[in-house]
Amino acid sequence: MTDTITQPNSGPHHLLQVSHLSTSFATTHGSLRAVDDVSLTLDRGETLGVVGESGSGKSVLVRTIMNILGRNASISDETKVLFNGRDTRALTRAEARHFWGREIAMVFQDPMTSLNPVRRISRQIVEPIRYHLGLDEKAAIELAVELLDRVGIPEPRQRLNNYPHELSGGMRQRVTIAIAISCRPKLLVADEPTTALDVTVQKQILDLLAELQTETGMSMIMITHDLGVVAGYADRIAVMYSGRIIERADAIGLFESTRHPYTEALLRSIPRIEDPSHTPLRVTSGRPPNPLSLPPGCRFSPRCRYAQPPCTEQEPALTPASVTHEYACFFPVGSPENLEALAANEAARATSTGLELATATTAGAGAV
Amino acid sequence: MAGTGTAHLRDADDTVLRVENLVVEFPAPKGRTVHAVSGVSFDVRAGETVGLVGESGCGKSTTGRAVMQLPSPTSGSVRFGGVELTALDDEELRRTRTKLQMIFQDPISSLNPRRKVRDIVAEGPGIWGLADDNVDTVLENVGLDPAVVSDRRPHEFSGGQCQRICIARALVMDPRMIICDEPVSALDVSIQAQILNLLEAMKERYGLTLLFIAHDLAVVKNISDRVVVMYLGKMCEVAPPDTLFAAPRHPYTQLLLTSIPVPDPRRGRSDRRITGELPSPLDPPSGCRFRTRCPRASERCAAEEPQMRAIGDDHFVACHFPD
Repeated sequence: MTDTITQPNSGPHHLLQVSHLSTSFATTHGSLRAVDDVSLTLDRGETLGVVGESGSGKSVLVRTIMNILGRNASISDETKVLFNGRDTRALTRAEARHFWGREIAMVFQDPMTSLNPVRRISRQIVEPIRYHLGLDEKAAIELAVELLDRVGIPEPRQRLNNYPHELSGGMRQRVTIAIAISCRPKLLVADEPTTALDVTVQKQILDLLAELQTETGMSMIMITHDLGVVAGYADRIAVMYSGRIIERADAIGLFESTRHPYTEALLRSIPRIEDPSHTPLRVTSGRPPNPLSLPPGCRFSPRCRYAQPPCTEQEPALTPASVTHEYACFFPVGSPENLEALAANEAARATSTGLELATATTAGAGAV
Repeated sequence: MAGTGTAHLRDADDTVLRVENLVVEFPAPKGRTVHAVSGVSFDVRAGETVGLVGESGCGKSTTGRAVMQLPSPTSGSVRFGGVELTALDDEELRRTRTKLQMIFQDPISSLNPRRKVRDIVAEGPGIWGLADDNVDTVLENVGLDPAVVSDRRPHEFSGGQCQRICIARALVMDPRMIICDEPVSALDVSIQAQILNLLEAMKERYGLTLLFIAHDLAVVKNISDRVVVMYLGKMCEVAPPDTLFAAPRHPYTQLLLTSIPVPDPRRGRSDRRITGELPSPLDPPSGCRFRTRCPRASERCAAEEPQMRAIGDDHFVACHFPD
């Protein structure tokens, strides 16, 4: 993945190759850059987890890759999206219609809004099959039954006659997955696929996605705010903050040798099921910056315990620490520089951005 | 589970809230009935946080609202500070309920968008003709600067800040108890941690008792002193969190725990799976309500509803065949 930057046109080596992707939205307060210069690659059969909080740009990133943004969005000229060696932004409308759905499919957070409430399940699943695969009605229905059965819907033939509201949330999400995999896409993009679901149903859906991936060898991009979800289901994980990827590594590397202070802060703030009750949570004060007025230098520096003068002078680039691990920080966690920075800040009781260290860990206090 | 019974209720002098055999039913078309809560009992002692946990449709929010008498339960008893709330007339209820406050899941929609923060927080004392000189102190205590926030309106704040305003609005009435209905579910993890720590700090400072309703087991474990697991309007298991999470005895609790995605890539995925769909509360299963999805269900589970019984020190389960 690290060769993205050096070899932006290395051909069909990767299934998906995104370089220098930036997306802005026109707002009444000016242009808002939601994703800022993101590059990534994805190999066949691989799952990339993209984690971030609200507003980090994770959904806009995949919507840019899918080219399904609204009219107020503008994609920068440097942005390049190569899928299987083809530049997806150069597709004509007619080509694109056969591309999306057949080559890349997507599953969204809320199955109630991604299914049409006034059409039976049969119409919604048969239509893309006939369109993309050119099957006749009878064969398409047989395939639909097979697909519904595969995604774990009991009595699939009867369910075809149901409307979405007659199914539970978990069953509806199974239907959208059945539609998504109907044309055997090479890439499945799942945007918070289980956020609206209960925990036991979430597990069923994630296990189903993992099984389907093993069966079909498709690649997957899984967008989520839940570190627990990516830990169990992603091969590699990219952490986004304020429109940028700030750390990217294989799953074990990210959790066990975390380098970026934001990833560290995120991991510390989650209540852990294995911790005793009433364990105080390590709070990161503040919240992500307003994308219309970004802080100078590193975007996390105003909230970072380790911030030093260089952090506000220059924005750290995503640099490889090893073949599988990249981070964007001058004082990465686990390095001697990091310990020195923390010691200096603790002695001064504040970081170079003026964050008081006492408030960084105390409960409740501090600006929200 | 999905059982009833009161074996887990404690005889303590400092009980703030005691709910017994709470039943909430709603009418449905064609003369049918939604059995939302069917015989739930629990008690909360002074200074304690009791967590109600369960998945969608288990009746946890309906239980919280029935405690507030919003609406009054179909049957059952709700005693708050020794007063039977279900027996009060409207005016008595209005007076008693000032000491019982509530905060909700969506902090932005629970604040009036047209009013200034100061007016929102000062409304309660205003209605009761109380001095509102503690509004600034309360705002400060929840981590907001009164000089900055007082004249602003809710849309100028993030979700986390709005939840702080909601907490301030509850605290300003000097309540004995706050019912928190999914107070952090709509917030990002880093903000969630801020609000959970704030609730713990405010509980300490104001001597509060909390009823904490949530679906997130890790959150409930973190904040609670006692946890009640619910399923389809019934109770499954009651215990202090450390006991419950270390040694769950009810098959449903075990399933819930193994379903949580753990932020540790070395921890493999559990093979344990729940099968079937949540039954309809219009027509809940006979006997134990979990039996249709329970790996251990037998004929007895269909015929006889399990009652809450002690299975360990301060550990209660409603199951015929607990682990």
